[in-house]
Amino acid sequence: MRPFKFTKVNDAANAVQTVAANANSKFLAGGTNILDLMKEDVMRPDELVDVTRLNLTQIKTVSGGVNKGGVSIGGLGKNTDAANHPLIRQNFPLLTQAILAGASAQIRNMATNGGNLNQRTRCSYFYDVAMPCNKREPGTGCGALEGINRMHAVFGWSNDCVAVHPSDMCVALVALDAVVKVQGTDGAERSIPFIDYHRLPGNTPQKDNNLNQGELITAIEIPKNNFSDKSYYLKVRDRASYAFALVSVAAALEINGNKIKQARVAMGGVAHKPWRATEAEKFLTGKEATEANFKQAAEMEMKQAKPLEYNKFKVELGKRAIVRALMQAMNGGKV
Amino acid sequence: MNERIKNVGQAMNRIDGLLKVTGTATYATDYAIKNTAYAVIFKSAIAAGKIIDLDTSEAEKAAGVLAVITHKNAPKLNASGGIRGGALLQSPNIEFHGQHIGLVVAETFEQARYAARLVKVSYEKTDAKVDFEKHEKEAVTPKDKDRAEASRGDVETTFRNAEYKIEAVYDTPIEHHQPMEPHATIAVWEGEKVTLYNGSQIVNGAQNAAASTLNLKPENVRIVTPHIGGGFGSKGGQWANLILAAVAAKVVNRPVKLALTRQQMFNSVGLRQRNRQKIRLAATKDGKLTALAHETTTHCAINGEFVEPCGDCSKVMYDVPNSLISYRVVPMNIILPTYTRGPGKSTGSFALESAIDELAYQLKIDPIEFRLKNEPAKDPSNGKPWSSRAIVQCLKEGAKAFGWEKRKIEPRQNPQGNYLIGYGVAAGTYPARQRDTSATVKLTRNGSDVRSSIELAASDLGTGTHTILAQTAADALGLPINKIGVRIGDSALPPAAGSVGSVGAASFANAVNDACVKITDELIAKSGKQFFVRPTAAEMMASENINEFQTRVHAKPPADADKYSSHSFNANFAEVWVNDSTGMVKVQRFVAVTGAGKILNPKTARSQIIGGNVWGIGMALTEESILDSRWGNFVTRSFADYHVPSNLDIGSIEPIFINEEDTIPNKLGIKGIGEIGIVGVAAAVANAVFNATGKRIRELPITPDKLI
Ligand SMILES: Cc1cc2nc3c(=O)[nH]c(=O)nc-3n(C[C@H](O)[C@H](O)[C@H](O)COP(=O)(O)OP(=O)(O)OC[C@H]3O[C@@H](n4cnc5c(N)ncnc54)[C@H](O)[C@@H]3O)c2cc1C
Ligand code: SF4
Repeated sequence: MRPFKFTKVNDAANAVQTVAANANSKFLAGGTNILDLMKEDVMRPDELVDVTRLNLTQIKTVSGGVNKGGVSIGGLGKNTDAANHPLIRQNFPLLTQAILAGASAQIRNMATNGGNLNQRTRCSYFYDVAMPCNKREPGTGCGALEGINRMHAVFGWSNDCVAVHPSDMCVALVALDAVVKVQGTDGAERSIPFIDYHRLPGNTPQKDNNLNQGELITAIEIPKNNFSDKSYYLKVRDRASYAFALVSVAAALEINGNKIKQARVAMGGVAHKPWRATEAEKFLTGKEATEANFKQAAEMEMKQAKPLEYNKFKVELGKRAIVRALMQAMNGGKV
Repeated sequence: MNERIKNVGQAMNRIDGLLKVTGTATYATDYAIKNTAYAVIFKSAIAAGKIIDLDTSEAEKAAGVLAVITHKNAPKLNASGGIRGGALLQSPNIEFHGQHIGLVVAETFEQARYAARLVKVSYEKTDAKVDFEKHEKEAVTPKDKDRAEASRGDVETTFRNAEYKIEAVYDTPIEHHQPMEPHATIAVWEGEKVTLYNGSQIVNGAQNAAASTLNLKPENVRIVTPHIGGGFGSKGGQWANLILAAVAAKVVNRPVKLALTRQQMFNSVGLRQRNRQKIRLAATKDGKLTALAHETTTHCAINGEFVEPCGDCSKVMYDVPNSLISYRVVPMNIILPTYTRGPGKSTGSFALESAIDELAYQLKIDPIEFRLKNEPAKDPSNGKPWSSRAIVQCLKEGAKAFGWEKRKIEPRQNPQGNYLIGYGVAAGTYPARQRDTSATVKLTRNGSDVRSSIELAASDLGTGTHTILAQTAADALGLPINKIGVRIGDSALPPAAGSVGSVGAASFANAVNDACVKITDELIAKSGKQFFVRPTAAEMMASENINEFQTRVHAKPPADADKYSSHSFNANFAEVWVNDSTGMVKVQRFVAVTGAGKILNPKTARSQIIGGNVWGIGMALTEESILDSRWGNFVTRSFADYHVPSNLDIGSIEPIFINEEDTIPNKLGIKGIGEIGIVGVAAAVANAVFNATGKRIRELPITPDKLI
């Protein structure tokens, strides 16, 4: 690990100012991602600003604004607490399932919600400093593009980067139309719709998201919805726990009579950002909730997929996962 | 032996359990030695070529750095002294990606690790051979005599003319041992003598390899390794870390601690080779095997041959008149493969036992029935009689315990909601051997309190060696087990075999037993008295008023052992649940029935079998090391990418032991259980997956993408 400065802060404004003032400074939350990356020399901040003492851990009903009646979870709350809080379990079981599908109990106990959004890709070329990687070192090339890209993207990739965002939690959050609350460097709060929070790689794969240096995630708001009795998070992986998704699907349905009033489908393990399956959603709206319709929705979504050499299976797997997740959602989220 | 006391055969807790759970058992790096400096290795970023230039100036200037050692300034060593895999900093040549090219020694681990990043290396790259598919055709016959072609009868004609036959290729990937305790060494010099704290499955092997490589006399090298956090073969032979720690300690003239990181483990201490196994099997309509060919192609290091014996099971499992076992190997720019749990047998049985299942299915014969029809009366490979062979019992008792009668021969007959349930069976074998081992037994008496110390350079991988030796000695001396101290894992003690090839328990326990019998004999002789009932050593110490007594033995395998073929056998039963939508597989139930002679301690033995089964399930479903053929690097270089099974992947595992008494391979009738637990496991799972889905997966691991 390279030598770095360790700074403690007591309030959010101070945290933001400190990190904004030093382009090479980073927040330290649970540390489950950034410390690993520093040990491997992948990230080389010269300062860590410890934000774990900030009072940004509450989970509460949103009392005003556009998301009134929804739930706000603190940016520095632990993943475990978010997953298990009654407000989340009752209103957004999809989020509970997604969080619990990730990592291990020990890591979720350390990991924070803001840290989860900002965790970096698990692309093994990114992790290995002996390899080229545009995300780690812009201009060196993408090791995965023509390499072992079994775990990589099938949607929205560029020749500069084919990595995927590894989070499970974020797949549920994008399906639920969450909003990221950010304390800006000017002291003002900014709201970023979840779907615009993470980026596609384009020619700047070094930027995972649209947060500016120094901006702090203070909370994530989830608007009220009617999906709680028909949602499901399905994660397909190489082993039953403690593995990142090959493909995951967050599915949520609101049914009116025998028709789908609203469908939400999002995918993980397929793109540089949590992927909202808008084609599938559009198709499903107003249709009957049948397996045949789910299949057609899945076909439509996966038609846009551009697989790489070793991840062709993700197209078929993606289809199956969409159908299965929607079926399970109809089944009340039970397995 | 005193009939009243019986420790052997009891399910006893580990005598070192308390040390382990309280964190006081000392593993290689757990010695607080004053003034220790820390070494961190840095590695090559190319797979073939040579180092043109190494700029260490920045690293040398970094805070805390004591020395940077590379091929430019490393002391001259004997590179053929028995260290596996080279990488001893003796030349600028690079033979595989991640070869050690130097180390930084500093006051702290963090300083050393940081400075190691500051070394600038320029290389001259040459074409690296890392793509097995591409170079497979260049494979040649191994030099190793034990891998010479073995054939009898006429496989080609029989196979050509057979009506019922299978010809299939089975692929297994590179796997890594990755024991919980990564390889690590502390080196402490005192003049010309060096003490090396280092996980070593073969204590004297490590001592000799270190001595020879460092150009020292063996008596000037001491290996200390009382507890080992697993090894699975990777701590059998020794690797460069052992020597580089000693070199670093010499250079900085201080004790040095060198620990590999988890990532470094992937290209530092060997691996299980990738195997391509072609099996041809032919049988008559009623299920009598007529031909068996098992041809393995694999890779080894550029300058070092190792070929795991994939054909071993095929030599002894079935009665077949026409047989061919052969090997081909291609040297490649990949680290030297080495012994890996159930070497050859675990991977070879995947191929053989899958093919048996395929042929049984083709003949529409139950696979257990099929195996029973082909039971050999003698060892078909050498005509020797079996000392014992429990395979029929294993299959029959396993079938009963597992509920095999519910299995349907046709696949996809057992759906349950979104899952397809399948049953699979596969058998396995592992040779039983005793190796030369010496042991000292010491008795001390203080009033009525008699205690014993058992001393030999054996090793405990975490399997329970301390405990079984205490049990053996307690019974043989007539002492309670808590009066027995076991001192092992130190080359200063009498030389012993290693914890390798399932020879540990048989070699160590027989030596300890012999020593205890001998000390009793000597005490009786010394007393000059005659006894109708043989007294115990403890009783003799008391009655003869002796306070200290000791003796030493050198135990050898029985003279007749070689006239027989001695093996453990097992039968493995798997119930898998395959998610029909996602292709994810769960092993819901696993029953492993083992006939492995005397089971010294059913509790530690059970753990051994479960551990082997879990690894076998990992082999079947999750474990795979993947190389990028452009650079020769492993892209799976942490536990996030190299998947060992998690608890959730595995339901219940039920080990069952067959009561087997066979004192032909050794006096105590111990066959060893270190390896047998992994043999046949992957095939049982793959066969169950076929029974569930109708898909025959011949390329491990069976990941979801292969089933959709
Ligand atoms: C072995 C392993 C397996 C895992 N498996 C999974 C999995 O299956 N699914 C999954 O979803 N995740 C998985 N994870 C990832 C885990 O969820 C993340 O590491 C964790 O969420 C990161 O949170 P943290 O608080 O520890 O972040 P840190 O490591 O502290 O920080 C991560 C990044 O976020 C920034 N940051 C942190 N808080 C804020 C904030 N409030 N505002 C702005 N920036 C901030 C930091 O500066 C840093 O750049 C796994 C991790 C490990 C180690
Ligand atoms: S996919 Fe992205 S992260 Fe991976 S090597 Fe390419 S640029 Fe780097």
